[in-house]
This record gives sequence, C-alpha cells and structure tokens, in this order.
Amino acid sequence: MKKVWIIGWKDLIVLFRDRGALILMLAAPFVLTVGLGLVTGAFSSTNRTGTGLAQIPVAIVNLDEGELGQALVDTLTGADLADLLAPVTGIDLEEARRQVDANELAAAVIAPTGFTAGVIPNPTTGERATAVAIEIYANPARPISAGVVSDIVQAFTSRVDVGLTSIEVTMTQLLRSGIVPLAQMEAVGQEVGARQIAQMQAGGAQVIEIQRETVSDNDDPAFNPLAYFAPGMAIIFLMYTTALGGRSFLDERNSGALARLLTTPTAMAQVLGGKVLGIFLSGVAQVGVLVLGSTLLFGLYWGDPLGVLLLILTVALAATGWGLLLAAFAKTPGQVTNYGTALMLIFGVLGGGFVNLPRTGALEMIARITPNAWALDGFLRLHQGGALGDITTELAALVIMGLALFGAAVLLFNRRSESILH
Amino acid sequence: MIQKIWTMLWKDTIIRFSSKSELLFFLILPVIFTALLGGFMAPDPDADNRIPLLVVNEDGSPLAGSLLAALEQSGSVRVEAAPLADAEAAFAAEEAPALLQIPAGFGDELLAGETAVLHFAQLPNNNNGNVAARAVQTAVADISQPIIAARSATAEAAGRRPFVDDEARAAFFSASLAVAQELSQALPQRVTLTQPEAALVDVNAYDPAAQSSAGQMITWVFIPLLGASAFLAFERSKGTLRRLLTTPTGKAAFMLGAITSNYLQALAQMAILIAFGIFVMRVNWGQSLPALALLLMTFGLAGVALGVMLGTFVKTTAQANNLSIMLGMAMALLGGCWWPLELFPPAMQNVVKALPTTWAMQGLIDLAVRGQGVQGILAETAVLLGFAALFFAIGVRRFRFE
Repeated sequence: MKKVWIIGWKDLIVLFRDRGALILMLAAPFVLTVGLGLVTGAFSSTNRTGTGLAQIPVAIVNLDEGELGQALVDTLTGADLADLLAPVTGIDLEEARRQVDANELAAAVIAPTGFTAGVIPNPTTGERATAVAIEIYANPARPISAGVVSDIVQAFTSRVDVGLTSIEVTMTQLLRSGIVPLAQMEAVGQEVGARQIAQMQAGGAQVIEIQRETVSDNDDPAFNPLAYFAPGMAIIFLMYTTALGGRSFLDERNSGALARLLTTPTAMAQVLGGKVLGIFLSGVAQVGVLVLGSTLLFGLYWGDPLGVLLLILTVALAATGWGLLLAAFAKTPGQVTNYGTALMLIFGVLGGGFVNLPRTGALEMIARITPNAWALDGFLRLHQGGALGDITTELAALVIMGLALFGAAVLLFNRRSESILH
Repeated sequence: MIQKIWTMLWKDTIIRFSSKSELLFFLILPVIFTALLGGFMAPDPDADNRIPLLVVNEDGSPLAGSLLAALEQSGSVRVEAAPLADAEAAFAAEEAPALLQIPAGFGDELLAGETAVLHFAQLPNNNNGNVAARAVQTAVADISQPIIAARSATAEAAGRRPFVDDEARAAFFSASLAVAQELSQALPQRVTLTQPEAALVDVNAYDPAAQSSAGQMITWVFIPLLGASAFLAFERSKGTLRRLLTTPTGKAAFMLGAITSNYLQALAQMAILIAFGIFVMRVNWGQSLPALALLLMTFGLAGVALGVMLGTFVKTTAQANNLSIMLGMAMALLGGCWWPLELFPPAMQNVVKALPTTWAMQGLIDLAVRGQGVQGILAETAVLLGFAALFFAIGVRRFRFE
C-alpha cells in the first residue's frame, strides 16, 4: 500500500508543479467564475434580477395632453424603478427613435396624443375618444431589456384599466339597483372617478396574495449565479485534470518509465493503483482548492461541510473513471489531451456548467452520463441548505459511475496491457 | 517571398490537421455548442415546450377556473393539473420548476371581500421557476382586475345605501363581478411593441439563435487564433526558428507565413460556421455579405495578432495551448458571446469594450439582428483593426527566433 501511496503522491506533486497544467486546473475555473460573477452582477449588492440587468436606458416621449401620460412618466421615473431603469426624458419622438435605431437605447416608450382621452371620458360630454395604445419602440439587439420595459408599462396600463372598469361597473350597478337616479349620475360619476384615480395613483388594491416559497432553507428565491457557476466551472476543469492524469500513463510508457518501474519489486497492480490514486488525489486537491478559494475570496456558502467533502471525493472518483477510460482508449498522449479537452467541454455544456440549459427529454438522459450534472445538482442542494441525506442519490450515482468506468478501463487495459506498458 | 509564405502556410495546415481529432475543435464542437445554446436541440420543436407548472386546484370555484384559464393563456408556462400528492411528488423529483396550490375556499374568500391566498413553491436557483412565478403574477393580475372593480362597486353602493343583509351584498357583488368580467374582456389593447424596420428578428419572440450562432463562432474561432502562440512556441522549442536563420528567410517572411496560415484557417472555419448558422439555425447572415466579410476579416486579424503577441510571452507549447483556451473562453464570456451584453451590469458593459471579442460580437449582432450594412459596422471594424495593429506591433517588437 505504501508503494501505491508513493506513486500516487508523486503524480500529484508532478501535476501541481506543471505551470502549464495549472493554467487550466486552477486559473481557468477561477478566472471564468470571477468573469461570470462580474457579468451576472453576482458581486453587486443591488442585484435583484438574477442577472446584471440594471439601469436600462429608455426614452420616454409623452405626447399625451392628459393626466395619464404624465402618470406614466412619473411611474417610469419614480424612485421604485431607479435601479432598474435609466429614463431619458425631454426627448422628441424622432430623436428617441434615432437613438433606439443607433443601439443607444433599449427602448422608447411613447405615450401618444389622445391616450388619456381614449381612456377617460370627457367630463362635459361623457364621450370617450377612440382608444390609442402606448407604443414601445424596442431595440431588437436588447430584447430582454425591452421586454422588462414592456412588462412595466403593461403593469401601468393594467392599473389604469382596473380604475376604468371600477368606475364603469360602479356606475352601471348604482343605476341598475336604483341607488343613484339617472339625474345624479354625472355628479356621482365625477365623485367616483376622482376616488378611483386617487386609488390608482396610490398603487391600487390587492385581492389575491401569492405566498412564495422555495423548497430550501434559503428564503431568497432569486437566482444566485455564483452559487451555480463556481461548482460548475470547478467540475468542468476537473475533467481536464483527470484526462491529464490519464495521459501520464501513456507519457510514462513512451519514456520507458513504466517498464523501468516494473523491473523493481513492484507489481503491475501497485503501479496502476498508484497512478489511479494520483489522478484521484489531483482531482480532489483541485476541486478542494477551488472550493476553499471561492469561500475565502467571495464568501460563497457551499453548505454542509461533510456533504461538500463527500461530493468532492465522489465527483473526483467519477471523473477519474472517465480519465482512465480515455487513457485506455487512446493510442497517443496527444489523443488523450485532445479527447480529454473535447470531453471536458461537451460534459461542461451538457451538464449545465456553462449555461443553465433546460434539462428535458433526451438532453436530460444524456446529461446524466456526465459527472457534471450529478455533482452540480448535489452542490446546489447543499448550498440551498440541504443536508447529507438530501444528496444520497447524487453521491450514489457518482460512486457507481466511477466504479463502472474504472471496471471498463481495467478490462481495456488488460486487453492492451502489452501495448500500454511497453 | 510569396512562395515561402505559401510553403509555410501549407506546412502549418498539414501539421494542424494531421490528427483527425483537430476536426473536433475546428467543426464538431462549435456546431454542437451552437446548436445546444441556440435552442436547436430542444426535444421537439413542434411540441408544447412551455415551462411546466404543476397546479393543485383544491377549490373548484368559477374564480379558480378563471385563474386556470388565465394561466392557460400564458406563453411561458404549461398548466399540469394534478392532485396534491402527485404534484408534490413530481415537484420533489424536479419534473417541474414550480407548483401552484389553489387552496379550498379561494373563491369564497374572494366573493366575501377577503384577501385570498395562493401558495406558490419554486425550485431555488432555477430561472424557469422565476419565469413561472412571473406568469402566475400576470394571471393573478388578470383575474384580480374585475374582482377589484366589483368590490369597489359594492363598497360604493354600501356607502350610499347599506345592504339589508349579507345575501343582498353577495348578490350585488356577483352581479357587479359579471359586469366587470364582461367589460374586462372588451378592453382595447393599451400597449403595442414595435421595432425598427431594418430589424431582422421579431422582438415579440426572443430567439437565441443569432446570439448563439455569433457567440459560439467567435469563441471557437478565437481560441485557435490565439493558438498561433502555440505554433511559435512549438517552433522555438524544436529549434526550427533558429534553423530558419540559416536559410534566406527573413523574420518578416516567417511571421507572415505563420500569420497567414492561422488567418486563412480561421476564415475557412468562420465560413463553415456561418453556413451552419444560415442553413440550420436559420440566422439571417446574408443581408449584407460585404459587411459580413469585412467584419470577419478584421476580427480574424485582431485574433491572430493577439495570438502572435501571446506567443512572444509563453515559453512552452503546453503553456500556449492552455493559455489560449483560458483566455479565449474568458474573453468570449466577457465579450458577450455566452450571455447577451445587455444582461451585464452597466459598468461591466463599458469595461469589456477593452476586448476585441466585444466589438466582434457587437458587429455580428448589428448584422444579424439590427440588419445593418457596411456603414453600420464601420466603428467595430475600425476598432478591430486598431487592436490588430497594436497586438502586431507588440508581437513583432518582442519576437525572438531563440
């Protein structure tokens, strides 16, 4: 056992002294995690959208002569939306459209002439002009920002419609029930209308409350990009490390080191065991460093320490299995590197490490052959307050994956033992 | 000189494609990534791919029915009604990102003038859960509108002539609600979404294909362009650069040969990925071919120049290869190739202007989304040429044969 340990420890030291390898083992996942944190606003204390979306540049053109156009301007420029929107007012219609066309603005909100007159009847004649819609002139290069602006304007018009409907229903019912005679309708209508407009401006009433909850102990249902991408990136580049470990088999065969080792009183099983241990330890050390680094530098909460440790061990085991299988299949060290890098990237995208792809149908099944998907699910569960008992499926899946791949690799190695060792 | 450059170009191409695995990075992986991130490999394009929302309706009242009908109208969620136990089991198995429970008495509470409560649970750290939450809020706002109006009418009536009993009040409320629901259905459209005439996409229906096709092309072309650094390191470590000094081949001819080789390979790769975008992802790249060609050529120049510059800093091929992958991925990410630039915090949107990938991505979006021509991408091409000049200048200055 001591020989196995010595060989494994030697491989670990060799790998961590390789500056070129360290670029992808430690620097790349760290740099990409920081990059993702920066672009998704994860380091921002005011992030409330789950993305970096903030200060959306939007022009407001109010061509309406009535109070609703001004109310819309007040809503869009109000303190409630100050984080989300960067409104540009006092701009004419042509200039607003030009700035959207020039990709300087995400959208222009245009309250047309006669908007109020199309909603609120003339107090003197009781007539209502033809309804005209608010136009959102959207920048196609910023569809998500334009969608947010559209949602905000829709919410405003919804409040307007609630007020309008309330007035009409009230007047209709008061008349039908005989509570207010026809002769008093105009005066009562003005009184009710004033009250409804005041209510609308106050924010309206709520009749249905939605009690939102998440399934975790963490009360914040907002998307936390860093909690997702830090483990995602660590696992992606773990695949690189294990492929590199697999490559060392072939490197040592080519240099004759394996053959020389077998002339010593060391059994082949001890050599192979030591190499496997080296790959496994390297993977554990790599993910461990990244977990520790993100905890200390970003204050990222990973969850139950025992659960995290077991996940690191099992995902390193599964990734080691893939590294061994690659080494067993490949004929040259160059092939291991190329196929290993390709596998790292494919597993990364399928397992959700790069982007949170919806896992449905065939994609879900394919994702499950990657250690990335299982480990990412486990790390997220722990981050959200899950305990060891909540990740038993993920742990079991990773262990089974590791052992099955190890078995397959051993079978292949046995078939090719001559070519592997000599 | 031309003969020497051609010879080096041919030699580099043979070295690069001597291994079939190179096709993985040149073609196969870019295509897989573009398809996956562009939504092309969704389970079934003709199926209802809306986000499943588990709904437990324990009430069964007409108002609960109205809520379900409003949810069915949603473009983002698909209602999957189920008994509580089944829904909870499906939610626990993460078969759906959200569960809405309409408790018994929901309709009665609303009719009685009380605030009714809905229970909504979502998977944490799941964007689909947030989308489902927004869809529920929209549906609730829709059905709340007539209820608020009916309550308002009932309160107004009670203020003027108190109801004789609760039954009379309930009858008045029900009649008011019927009127309000009728009026709500007849309301005109208050908001319209328009877009510039030149736009090549529909802002009403976000399609990630253009973003994915452009972003993945930049990522997968940029990494091998930076890999030009590995060629320099490889030749230096093998001593072939020193041996070149013994031949009548100057520094300029060697550099041009190495650069041209990588550059032309990148142009070929971009042409293939553009064709994939046009014919498979249905991205409108063909609106202005001269503009597209101009942008891709300047982007290629900036990339290969950065590779040359990088090659003068690294010592080994392994360092160069790994640094190319890391820098390529990081610059692609920060340049808006993986996530739309509009989602970046405002300060970051300015910071990333220091990267060539940002300008390349912006130019491609201008072409494939905003429908711009040569005039519309002049700024981007000028900046990319500036990057190319700067990187080349540093690379040539630092270049050593040894």
